Amino acid sequence: MSVTHTSPNTTMTSLRRRSPPWYRKWLGGPLRQAMVWLPLAALVLWTMGPFLISLSVSFKQPAQVFADPGIIPAEPTLDAYARVIDRPGFQKALWNSIVIAFGSLILTLIVGVPAAYAFARFRFRGRHLLLLFSLLPMLAPKVGLMFPLFLLAVELGAFDSRLFLIFVFTGMLLPLAVWLLVGFFQAIPRELEEAAAVDGATQFATIRTVILPLAIPALITVAVLAFREAWNEFELVLALTQTADSRTLPYELFLMQDATGIADYPIQNAFALLTIVPLVLVYLRIERYVAEGLLSGAVK
Amino acid sequence: MAEGDPSTDMASATRIVGWQHPWIAYLSSAPAMIIVAVVLAFPVLFAAVQSLYDISPLSQESPFIGFGNYIDVFSEPSFWSSLWRTGIFVFGVIALGLTLSIIFAFALNRVVSGLRFIRGLAILPYIVSSVAAALMFRTMFNSEFGFPNQVLEFMGFGAVPWLSNGVYAMIVVIIAQVWTDLPLALLFILGGLQTIDDQLTEAALVDGATGLRSAIYISIPLIAPQITLATVWLSFKAVTSLGTVLALTGGGPGEATQLLTLEMVRLGFDEYETGTAMALVIIIFVLNAALTLFYLGLQRKFGTK
Repeated sequence: MSVTHTSPNTTMTSLRRRSPPWYRKWLGGPLRQAMVWLPLAALVLWTMGPFLISLSVSFKQPAQVFADPGIIPAEPTLDAYARVIDRPGFQKALWNSIVIAFGSLILTLIVGVPAAYAFARFRFRGRHLLLLFSLLPMLAPKVGLMFPLFLLAVELGAFDSRLFLIFVFTGMLLPLAVWLLVGFFQAIPRELEEAAAVDGATQFATIRTVILPLAIPALITVAVLAFREAWNEFELVLALTQTADSRTLPYELFLMQDATGIADYPIQNAFALLTIVPLVLVYLRIERYVAEGLLSGAVK
Repeated sequence: MAEGDPSTDMASATRIVGWQHPWIAYLSSAPAMIIVAVVLAFPVLFAAVQSLYDISPLSQESPFIGFGNYIDVFSEPSFWSSLWRTGIFVFGVIALGLTLSIIFAFALNRVVSGLRFIRGLAILPYIVSSVAAALMFRTMFNSEFGFPNQVLEFMGFGAVPWLSNGVYAMIVVIIAQVWTDLPLALLFILGGLQTIDDQLTEAALVDGATGLRSAIYISIPLIAPQITLATVWLSFKAVTSLGTVLALTGGGPGEATQLLTLEMVRLGFDEYETGTAMALVIIIFVLNAALTLFYLGLQRKFGTK
C-alpha cells in the first residue's frame, strides 16, 4: 500500500525510514487543500467582516439596528447617508480633509523630490544622515509629538491652522518619501542623464524630461502614502485643531460619537464608510504600487 | 579642445552631470531637512528639555527641577497601572498579530492564481483611519446586536458584555488594533516566504517532513528577520496607539483600557501638567526604543544569520 504512494525518487529514502503514517494520503489530498483554503477564508472573513457589518448597519434605521439584527437589512434605506451628508460639520470636515490631504501631497513631492535627488546623486556632507533621517519617525512616534507640537503651534500662533497641519503632515511623511525616492532614483542609470547632458540639456531639463517620467511609479506611491497619512491622521489633528474651520474627517467622526447622544449606529457607520470610500477608490486602481511601495520602504 | 577627444568629452559630461557644486545639493535637500527637523526632531528635544522643568500654566515661574517630573511620574500608582495595561496590550497585539500574519502569509504563499486580488483585499485595513476602525469595531462588538454575540447565542452561549467588562474590552481593543496593523506585518512575512527557495521545502517533504513540520523547522527559521520586522512594527504601533483606544473605549470601562498614551493625553491636555506630560512623552519614546532593541537582540541571539 505504501509503495504505491512513494514516487520513484523517494524510494531510496523511504527504505531508511518507517512506513508513512496513515494520515499521509490525507495530507496530500483534502486535508492539504483545507490547510490552504481554511486560512484564506479566515483571512477574507477577518478583513471584510467589519466592513460588511458596518455596511449592513449603515443601511438601517437607528431603531432597526436593534429590532432587525440580521446582516441583510429587511428595509434598506439610505437615510443615514443623507443625514451624514446634510451635516454642516461633515461638509466642512470633508473640505478640510481634501485641502489638507492635497496640500500635504503636493508639498511632500515638491520638497521630497529635490532632496531625494540630492541624496541619490550627490556626494556632500550630511549624506550619511539619510538613514537617521528615515528612521526618525520610528524614534519619534506621533503620539509623543502631539504635545510638543501643540505647544509649538500655540507659540507660533499656528494653532488651529490648516497650513500648519499641512506642514506637520509633510514632515511626518518626508522621511519615508525621501527613502522611497532615493532608492528609485539610484536605480535609474546615470548614463541616461549623461546622454542628455551630452545632448546639451541643462541639469534641470534632464531631471524634468529624463528622471521624473521614469520615476512616475515612485511618485504615485509617495503621493498616495502622503494622501493617506493626511486623510487618516487623527492624533495630531486632535492636538493641533480646535474649531470646525480646520478639523478633518477623523476628528469630526470622533466628535460625532458623543454629539449624537444615544449611539446612532447607522449614522456613525455611514460616516465612517464615507471617509473610507475615496481612499478605496484610489487604492483599487493602484494597489500594486501601494503594496510594493510599502514593502520597499520598510524592508530596504 | 580637440574635436572628438573622448576623454575631454567624458570629463565635461561628468562635470555637467555630476553638477559638482555641493551647495546645490545642500539647497535642494534643505527644505526637507528643515521641515523634518521642525516637525520630528525639535519636538523630541523640546520634550526632553521641558520634562526637566516644573511647568504649569497656573504659575509664571517654571523652575528647573531635574528629574523631579520623572520621580512624580514613577511615584504615581496610575502610571504603573497604565504601564501594566500597556504591557498586556502590546503583548496581546504581538501574540495575535504574529499568529494571524504567519498563518495568513503561509496560506497566501500557496495561492497560485488570484494572489494579487486576495493580497489587495488583505491590505484594505491599512487605508482605514484609526477612528473609523474603532467605530466599526464598536458596532461589531455591541453586546445586543453585535455579530460575535449573535454567533455565541446561536451556539447556545450567553451574551458577552464585550465593552462593559474590563477584560473583554481589552480583548476587543487588541483585536481592533491588530486588524488595523496586520496588513504590513502580513506583507513583511509574505515577502520573506516568497524569497525561500522551493527546493528547500521540497527536500524537507521528500525527507518525510509534513507540511506543518517543514513550516516550523525550515520556513520559520529562514524568515526570522521578517518575523522580527513584523514584531517591531506591531510593537511600535501598539506602544504608540492612541486613536483606536480613545475612539473605541476612551480608556474605559473604568480605567480598564487606560494605556500610557491615554495617560499622557490626560496629564497634558486635561490637567495641564506640562512638565509631567513631557516626562511621560520621553518615557514612551524610551520604552519604544528599548523594546525595538530587545527584539533585534532576540533575533541576533536566536535567529539565523
